[in-house]
Amino acid sequence: MSDISLSVEPGSILGVIGPNGAGKTTLINLLTGHLAPTSGQVLIDGKDLSGSKPWDFAHAGVSRTFQIVKPFRGLSVRENVAIGAMFGPSGQKSVPASLEVADAVLDRVGMQGKAGALPSELSIADARRLELAKALAMRPRLLLLDEVMAGLRPQEIEPALALIRSLRDDGMTIIAVEHVMKAILAISDTLVVMHQGKELAKGTPAEVTSDERVISAYLGQRYAQRTREADSA
Amino acid sequence: MSRFLQATVLGLLEGGLYALIAVGFSLVWGVMNIVNLAHGAFVVIGAYLAWELKEQFGIDPLMGMVVVAATLFVAGYLIQRLLINLVVNAPIWMTLLLTFGLELLLVNAVLFIATANLRHISTDYNTASLVLGEVRVPYGQLIAFGVAIVLTLLLVAFMDRTRTGLAIKSTGMDRGAARLVGINARHIYAVTFGLAAALAAAAGAMVAMARPTFSPGDAGRFTLFSFVISVLGGLGNTWGALAGGLVLGVVQAWGGQYLTGTLVNAIAFGALVLVLIVRPSGLLGKPFYEARVEAA
Amino acid sequence: MATPAAVDVDSPPAAESPAVGARPGGRWWAWLLAAAAAAYFYIAPIMLLDSFQRTLATVFMFAALAQGWNVIGGFTGYPSFGQHAFFGLGGYTVAVLMAKARWSFWPSLPVAIVFGALFALLVGMPVLRLRGHYFAIATLGVAEGLREIVSNLSSITGGGAGITVPAVGALATTKYPGNTAFYYLFLTLAIVSTLIVWVIARSRFGYALRAIHQDEEGAAAMGINTTRAKTAAFMISGAITSTAGALYAFQQVTVYPDNIFSVSEFTVLPVVMAVIGGTGTVLGPLGGGVALAFLSEWLRRHYTDLHIFIFGAIIMVGVIFLPEGAANSLRVIRTRRRLPFLENVRRYRL
Repeated sequence: MSDISLSVEPGSILGVIGPNGAGKTTLINLLTGHLAPTSGQVLIDGKDLSGSKPWDFAHAGVSRTFQIVKPFRGLSVRENVAIGAMFGPSGQKSVPASLEVADAVLDRVGMQGKAGALPSELSIADARRLELAKALAMRPRLLLLDEVMAGLRPQEIEPALALIRSLRDDGMTIIAVEHVMKAILAISDTLVVMHQGKELAKGTPAEVTSDERVISAYLGQRYAQRTREADSA
Repeated sequence: MSRFLQATVLGLLEGGLYALIAVGFSLVWGVMNIVNLAHGAFVVIGAYLAWELKEQFGIDPLMGMVVVAATLFVAGYLIQRLLINLVVNAPIWMTLLLTFGLELLLVNAVLFIATANLRHISTDYNTASLVLGEVRVPYGQLIAFGVAIVLTLLLVAFMDRTRTGLAIKSTGMDRGAARLVGINARHIYAVTFGLAAALAAAAGAMVAMARPTFSPGDAGRFTLFSFVISVLGGLGNTWGALAGGLVLGVVQAWGGQYLTGTLVNAIAFGALVLVLIVRPSGLLGKPFYEARVEAA
Repeated sequence: MATPAAVDVDSPPAAESPAVGARPGGRWWAWLLAAAAAAYFYIAPIMLLDSFQRTLATVFMFAALAQGWNVIGGFTGYPSFGQHAFFGLGGYTVAVLMAKARWSFWPSLPVAIVFGALFALLVGMPVLRLRGHYFAIATLGVAEGLREIVSNLSSITGGGAGITVPAVGALATTKYPGNTAFYYLFLTLAIVSTLIVWVIARSRFGYALRAIHQDEEGAAAMGINTTRAKTAAFMISGAITSTAGALYAFQQVTVYPDNIFSVSEFTVLPVVMAVIGGTGTVLGPLGGGVALAFLSEWLRRHYTDLHIFIFGAIIMVGVIFLPEGAANSLRVIRTRRRLPFLENVRRYRL
């Protein structure tokens, strides 16, 4: 990955799209401390965190979901989420308090009844919600979503979009990496297209989808055509 | 100077034998991610069986080695297939404990049957030495070294050129994918373990022939050497095991010359820990098996 | 606030499934039993034979060792195979301070405990960066190396000939207190180490360790300083183990490097106890330690020739059929009303 310069407006959603291997997950890894930049800086709220450990990023208010969901398999759903409450920036001091926060977060993502279940018992949509709940329990200021829509059925996508929008409306800043075009176009305030590790285009969804370079690299002519027709209709 | 040369030569010879002891251990660890704490016991059993063959039937250890290796191949195959395969997917300390229990079992069985008396095999040739200038090269150790090299080469050829060898390597890289293309992972694992046991037994026969004495108590030391050599040479890397063995043998020989006896082992362990931290894939290791996928 | 309107028909009904590992709280009857047992054991020496007290002291020591391993191996998932380093370090610290520096035992003991923790801190810095087998072998290597070094520092430690604690006669810095005293000391250590594990299990620290065990990257991403947590766990484990070693040295009076730095006695055996009792639980290693220590003693007495052989067989059977340990298997039997033995085999087999 090289020559990327990104900044996100607080309280907005930045979508990141691009072909596989474009470096989207690498971007998230850089923003969470899982990878250190070989050159350049990672600034969170103006603070230089380049090369810091993942927990430092967490304490600075950054949290993420993982593309392949990684719940703590031996802990219940509630306990999974409580970890975020315990060790995130708002760090609850006691276990019972953290469990309470966990319950509230589970309500928010719509998993009220499943707090006592084990992660292995969840469906994929619920597993995704658990990932999200874990990240939300940390009360992040910047939320990084790594392909949360992958594998969801069409009727599961709408509620997920609604949830993400509501988080944004509550003031959270979100960067979402996605492949599901319909979803990401519907939800992003700004869109960035990555290609082979570099930034290809940046702008509003409308601007980006009509950008010729984006069309040839990623979207394809037929899609662009259809989108243009849908827009003018 | 001649003392140094003598020590180096002896160290190399002994190192070759160490390498043979370790190569099977390294293979099993690299391919199956199993650390077999009973490995040294296989060596000891090989040594005792070779001794028995010589005592009872007058079979020379070089021939006896073949018999012993075949026997332990079968035993190793069964042990893996019927026993160790049961805990392959469990947390790591399960296999460690299982093989530790196996080690206790085997070593104490040998102790019970054969007693702790030190033994040695005498043949016509292993009492004499070759003299090259100021350096004495004991025939027994020279032959053992030769056997070690030959067997190592055979193993490399086997792994690279036969279908089974390829099956072993690919199962080691990605078990799930290997199964998808029709490889019977349970069988391959058992074959690999059997192979390791056979090599250990062959090494045991050579130990009985080349070293002044052997006893059941040596088992732990053999396993520990196999650790060090596997880490030095990289898991599953046969050439690495050879190199690692030679390095260990020479370092021990030099240390024995210039340092008080047991501090040598402390150095070996220190080197081991250092290598683990700085280059976990070993001095010669490739990340070959580190990218291992064991999803299925 | 938008609640998803579509109900996911695929998700299973919310079952109150117990999480694997220590749950804060636990079963009240087990705790009552443990408390009653503790009370009994404190009163018992009045009625017990001196020799049996010595046996029990050993049993309690192993229970403490098992709990010590439990913290770093069971909770955090870092299988240390070098616990005998701490054991021997604690023992030699006490022995050297008493024999060479003419200290009494009581001030020497805290020094041994502190040394255990500090050694863990020192060794942990490089070694905790490794995982799984590599960590196990690195710790083993460190322990074996320490044994060699101690063997060779003859002027301080007496080398291979061992060192004797001055505990009898006019030259004794502390008079040998007798079997009953050691009985109480080891009993207290076993209880204290179990309490430590209990406190850890209920605390945020315990959750951090379990998170690290189950997904270290995820734990780090959620704000857990994994380096600090692992190091703390290792230090606690080291301190408990070195305390046991210190008491052991005084009890044995003469200490030899090959004896006190024994990997099979003071590392593998406690690991087996913790595993069979139930790693990551509070009472598991205690129960496992007690049960297996008694078993080991009984075997040693009745099958002197083959007791190790039999013990090896028992370890193997235990590992295959009780990989989750007795504590967890008991819970499964209770809540799911099924015998987990074959299930365990099916789950872990190739």
